[in-house]
Amino acid sequence: MPSVSVKILLFATLRDKYHTKELVVNCNGSIKSLIESASEVLGKEFLRDIYDEELGKIREDITLMINGRNIKDLKGNIVLKDQDVVAIFPPLAGG
Amino acid sequence: MGKILKVDLSAGSLKSELVLEDIAKKYLGGKGYTVYLLHRYLKEYESKGILPADINPLGPENILIFATGPGTGIQGFPCSGRYHVMALRSPLTGSIGSANSGGEWGPFLKFSGYDMIVIEGAAESPVYLSIIDGSVELRSARDLWGKNVFDTCRILARRVGGKNVSVACIGPAGENLVSMACIMNDEHRAAGRTGLGAVMGSKKLKAIVVSGEKEVPIANPDKFKEVSRRCLETMRKNRVTGEGLPTYGTSILINIINAAGALPYKNWQSGVNPDADKISGETLAATYLIHRRACWGCIIGCGRVTRVPSGPFQILETEGPEYESIWALGSATGVSDLDAIVKANHYCDEFGMDPISLGSTIAAAMELNERGYIPKEDLQGLDLRFGNSTALVEATWRTAYKAGFGKYLALGSKKLCEIYGHPELSMSVKGLEMPAYDPRAIKGIGLDYATANRGGCHVSGYTISSEILGIPEKTDPLKLEGKAKWVKLFQDFTCVVNSTVNCLFATFALGVKDYAELLSAVTGWSLSEDDILRIGERIYNLERIIINKLGFDGKDDTLPKRLLEEPMPEGPAKGHVIKLEDIKEEYYRLRGWVNGAPTAEKLKELEIEF
Repeated sequence: MPSVSVKILLFATLRDKYHTKELVVNCNGSIKSLIESASEVLGKEFLRDIYDEELGKIREDITLMINGRNIKDLKGNIVLKDQDVVAIFPPLAGG
Repeated sequence: MGKILKVDLSAGSLKSELVLEDIAKKYLGGKGYTVYLLHRYLKEYESKGILPADINPLGPENILIFATGPGTGIQGFPCSGRYHVMALRSPLTGSIGSANSGGEWGPFLKFSGYDMIVIEGAAESPVYLSIIDGSVELRSARDLWGKNVFDTCRILARRVGGKNVSVACIGPAGENLVSMACIMNDEHRAAGRTGLGAVMGSKKLKAIVVSGEKEVPIANPDKFKEVSRRCLETMRKNRVTGEGLPTYGTSILINIINAAGALPYKNWQSGVNPDADKISGETLAATYLIHRRACWGCIIGCGRVTRVPSGPFQILETEGPEYESIWALGSATGVSDLDAIVKANHYCDEFGMDPISLGSTIAAAMELNERGYIPKEDLQGLDLRFGNSTALVEATWRTAYKAGFGKYLALGSKKLCEIYGHPELSMSVKGLEMPAYDPRAIKGIGLDYATANRGGCHVSGYTISSEILGIPEKTDPLKLEGKAKWVKLFQDFTCVVNSTVNCLFATFALGVKDYAELLSAVTGWSLSEDDILRIGERIYNLERIIINKLGFDGKDDTLPKRLLEEPMPEGPAKGHVIKLEDIKEEYYRLRGWVNGAPTAEKLKELEIEF
């Protein structure tokens, strides 16, 4: 599969924990490969924090947006494109 | 059952009445009981030939009610440090006035011996109400009139003393009848919206100080202990109430709402703010945060104590700003200097004003000015342009004192924009400025804004919870289908929360079932989940009857033209507008309303005596 370059933005406690606001990684277009590539930079714990390997998807309480669209609202097989921006948020709320 | 204090400020008289159990069973306390009383006043006035349209929001005939509920002030009842306050008419909107606040005042009112305070009439000269261990007095506030919120709270707390003392008051904005003036308590907590501070100011009531040690009754203490323990454990384990909110407070929303393309920017010209990160919760935590703060009895602790150590907007210590305050004073105005936003928010606390309505009004003025609609001589040198931090801070105190251009800002965005010939630039619904979520990018909240009884209000039916945060389940923010039932559910349940009275944030972890069990244990009544939602629906409908009588119906359940007709220019919602007509009809069908008014059948079904 061709390699795509994707920017990842981190927020809130993820930003604190990994001391990173944003990073650009190459992946094969699948969400799993994106998170795996990021964890090569940020550490293995990042994969555990974001991805549930048993269920084969992003952890239920993590918000992951691709170009501003929550992955839970997107239908079908998700394939990342070159220059996509992925924003990842831990559980949060407000008013 | 508890007691209601009835105050007639015109006559200077004080009376005690009992909370009636059969009313409380139908409406609970807090907002519910208050809506019942306000409707009763409307009927009394009608029988005397005083029509709803005759009620001057700043006249002695307006009624102001402070209320707690069965859960307030009970240790272990989740987040129960709140109170609700309402007026028959808001001076900002002309519709019903309604607001809610945290801190300590709600529980301490209960400890002082009263569940509710009903205020009629107006005093001839400034007074404050003191309730100490059940003993009530109206005292002269001549020496306090003109003082800011901080001084008023400190002086009265020292003067009255005693255990569990708390002060609710108005600042100069309320005294000056600024239409967005609010009621403050414990220095930095606000019953913010709909201008209730001006109602209090029109009654020359400067403050209410409470103090006492009365215990709040629990009908079934063993059952309550068990349910409370479970609910608190749920909240501690929940990643939002146990981790996210305590760590960052509400300002953490700035970046996620911006990522969704829904952070209104420059008077809602866009939903994408290129400077969002500069004014985000992450930046606030990294720069100005000292520590967090909790309201009475709350295990979340989302409050922020902050400082700006140096520079032109220096403040040694303050609280906030919250997400809404940062948005309104920052993103709406295009200001990206966080220190200026903190300072303007501090002034809102000090002078007693709603930052949402203020920020949005300043934003409207900025757009009017940039388009050349405001004559230079009216501005009196105030350079109101998007992004001007100095003008933002100056406009804030000018509004509180109606000084220079501030006298126009003090009217709120609807009247301001009407004066300058462009009402379409007021981003308000029923005269109340909308909070920080663009309905073109988050559609369900648009339906809530349009149909919320007090006007453009997010906390009436906070569908953001589902549409963005995925609580209790995720819905797509760009879709309107299926949202009518969510809006109704959130609106009805929120009425229950505001009648309990506890904090809406508990519902990020707790649901209807938890409230049914908590309230059953506290009251001794057997309340099911259906009963709870029915009570909420009843309250919502009776409040709707009141606003119908005040002249608001289906034509007012709408949104500003910008959101209906101007496509979002950028971001994930690019090209979107919000189309309300079909979803509104579906909402009315679910509600049992026609043209924004409950039908007689619906009222009968809900056992509302109309």
